[in-house]
Amino acid sequence: MTEVAVTASSTSRERVGFSPNRVGVIAVNTLTEAIRQKVFIFLLIIGLVFIALAIFFAQYSLGEQEQLKFIKDTCLGVISVISTLIAIVGTAQLLPSEVENRTIYTILAKPVWRFEFLLGKFFGSLLLLTVSMVAMCMMFGAVLWIKEAGMIRDLSQTYLGQTAADKADAIQQIQQLKTTALDFDLVKAALTDLVKAILVASITLLVSTFSTSLVFNVAVPFMVFIAGMLRGTAAEMWGAHHLFMAVVAIVPDFGLFSIADEINLGNVVPWTHIGEVVVYGLARTVIIVLAAHLIFSRREI
Amino acid sequence: MRTKVLAAIVLFGIGFALLPLENSVRAQRQQMKYGGAHVTFQLREAIGQNLAIALLAGMRGVVADFIWLNSHGFWEKKEWLRQYRDILVVVTLQPQSILFWDLGQWHIAWNIGYGALSDPQNRTKAEGIKREHEWHQKAREFLERGVENVPGKYNLYFALGWLYYEKLSKDCDEPPCQEALCKATEYFRTAASFPDAPQFVPRVYARALEKCGDIRGSYEEWKRLWYLDRSKTDQTWSIIEREIRQIENELQIPNAERVFPISKP
Amino acid sequence: MDAIRTEQLTKKYDLGWRKGRLLALDKLNLRVHEGEVYGLLGPNGSGKSTTLKLVLDLITPTEGSAWIFDVPCNEVVSRLHVGFLPENPYFYRYLTGAETLGFYGKLCGMGGAALKKRIDELLDLVGLVKARDRRLSGYSKGMLQRIGLAQALVHDPKLLLLDEPTAGVDPIGSKDIRDLILRLKGMGKTVLLSSHLLAQVQDVCDRIGVLNLGQLILEGDVQTLISDQRRLSITVQDLPEAAQARVEEAVRAAGGSVVSIEHPQTTLESLFLDALRKDSRGAGHHD
Repeated sequence: MTEVAVTASSTSRERVGFSPNRVGVIAVNTLTEAIRQKVFIFLLIIGLVFIALAIFFAQYSLGEQEQLKFIKDTCLGVISVISTLIAIVGTAQLLPSEVENRTIYTILAKPVWRFEFLLGKFFGSLLLLTVSMVAMCMMFGAVLWIKEAGMIRDLSQTYLGQTAADKADAIQQIQQLKTTALDFDLVKAALTDLVKAILVASITLLVSTFSTSLVFNVAVPFMVFIAGMLRGTAAEMWGAHHLFMAVVAIVPDFGLFSIADEINLGNVVPWTHIGEVVVYGLARTVIIVLAAHLIFSRREI
Repeated sequence: MRTKVLAAIVLFGIGFALLPLENSVRAQRQQMKYGGAHVTFQLREAIGQNLAIALLAGMRGVVADFIWLNSHGFWEKKEWLRQYRDILVVVTLQPQSILFWDLGQWHIAWNIGYGALSDPQNRTKAEGIKREHEWHQKAREFLERGVENVPGKYNLYFALGWLYYEKLSKDCDEPPCQEALCKATEYFRTAASFPDAPQFVPRVYARALEKCGDIRGSYEEWKRLWYLDRSKTDQTWSIIEREIRQIENELQIPNAERVFPISKP
Repeated sequence: MDAIRTEQLTKKYDLGWRKGRLLALDKLNLRVHEGEVYGLLGPNGSGKSTTLKLVLDLITPTEGSAWIFDVPCNEVVSRLHVGFLPENPYFYRYLTGAETLGFYGKLCGMGGAALKKRIDELLDLVGLVKARDRRLSGYSKGMLQRIGLAQALVHDPKLLLLDEPTAGVDPIGSKDIRDLILRLKGMGKTVLLSSHLLAQVQDVCDRIGVLNLGQLILEGDVQTLISDQRRLSITVQDLPEAAQARVEEAVRAAGGSVVSIEHPQTTLESLFLDALRKDSRGAGHHD
């Protein structure tokens, strides 16, 4: 905890230390404000609608197992895209709107550290992302549950009145279905997507500390994201060049967060691997937020 | 300006410091064979610009699913070569997808093969049969690539065995081709060795052994199934009992050695 | 102790590559005494807002220093006893009046029953009790100014910085705000008031400082500054104009009464414009 000791003319020393409470107040206020943004509501509704509709699209000329794969791939793809968009759009206007509307003056005129303010805004953005992810994941879970129930019903009816062997096979298929449809490992995919979105939000925050243009604040993080997705491929092609790697080191490798496909294919993704990916994402996030603080602390309001 | 430069130095420095962690994660993925083919120019030509962009955005599964949907369209329109191309693209994108390999080979061998057989452009019936056999071979090569990519699951071994059993065993001058039937048993045995293989797999293996001419082997397999843990399920025992009785009669197994001795009147 | 003290406070803004720098504040030495109402006047671009921003550490000085109650302004603790009302304040429109004060109160470390009580007191002080549960999007300009004052007072600061507190407010609202400032002064608070509306400043301020092109060109007690020592005005009743002493005697001898003898006063506005005219430097002074 950082403290400032002041020697006043009296013998008393006043201090204003770093306060997680103040950060929390600003974060909750940021979340409340962001939820009222039409862009956010629009994006979230789009995401929820696409996830819900996946169950209908999947029925178009596909078998049961193909439908399940289609639903999972599509829903996780939607979650990934929408969470990235919310991370950029939700964070891009956080600081510029405070400066433009001059609400920042009344806040920073109070005994509030600039770092508390920045962190509060960022955590507010994270709360927004978490709320969105939870909403989309719940919709996704509901879709899978409905699909699973439908498939079990169809399997049971197909093998009704058939031979004992067929019924035994049906029971085995149903048991296998229960583990593959609502697969708990899908949580791993959602977790890595959330960390990816948090990292994108931190990059957006960094850009917004020195730029006042909303278009710039949206375009640059988006381009960094694309560059990050291409990094893995580039590293494999030109990784031998140290100079190349030194230059691209500033861009996170977003491809590392793409776990969804592997989980949907039934590959075992160990928690240790997920842990490394999460640590990577959060380490990058912390450094970027600190860099944002370096810039914002000296910024003239 | 100074603070911006300092911030950039911090980002570069820490980014560089995190490279070993990045490389570790990437190495783990290579070891686990995650991902599929890179977005090469040929792949981009095959899947189109929009899907290539989606691929770059990390939505490999969604891209593969849409191409698969597309291939269904070609199937319905009987555009076999386009369907075959899409199947190849899909397994290139997701080489660890059992679904695409399994259904892909089914389309190649059963649908595209039949399409080639019944193609009105065939000048003779023999030409149709020859083309069908070529597609069976393509399906075999396809599945052999499949088991190389997904060696840890029973599904593709069973599919390969079934391909040999149902299709390749008929692709010879005097079917059934013993060689193909016996090749099928090898794959069925491998499939049955997986602990998560369904109950019908060892039963198919047992039957295939009989078709291959190894009746003794078939009998031993049926007996092994009969003596399995019955607490799991008791609904298939009537089939196994029937098969054992039939083989014991065929082989004239002495009564004392039978699983189901014949009771004296 | 001075509430605000600046020494050689200077601010230069970069205008861009090869365009030089704009001198917004030029070696300002300012002292605002504790307990007084100080009016900071000046035309647009004179450095008033720059001064306030420097004192609040919203911008960093090129040279010089500033203190609030002897605490350097670049320290967060210096703002523990400062309340700030910016020009044309804008708050979170979806919050109600009470919620707005609650938000700022929590930022100042307040909470619980003490904060609730403070909110009630402030809403009563600024006359917004009936509008406490209305969202700020439904507030008028005058109401926003008043809630702005309330948020500046939420943590009971010793020093208030008010930037154009009556700008855009109707005459009645302006009077309310002026009366409130006088009440705050009566409570022992120090007020630094920046305004264009000279007549209103004249009514509430003890001392004024006039900035022009970043320099303090005039400072002093309001009443002293606006009174003209060179002239006398004699208010007489039923007495013709004559020599002062003889007039007085003559008035008495003539049976009349001397009502008052005092110096005539100019207006603050005239003084202000005169000072600017006398300032020899022209506009567009760059470094």
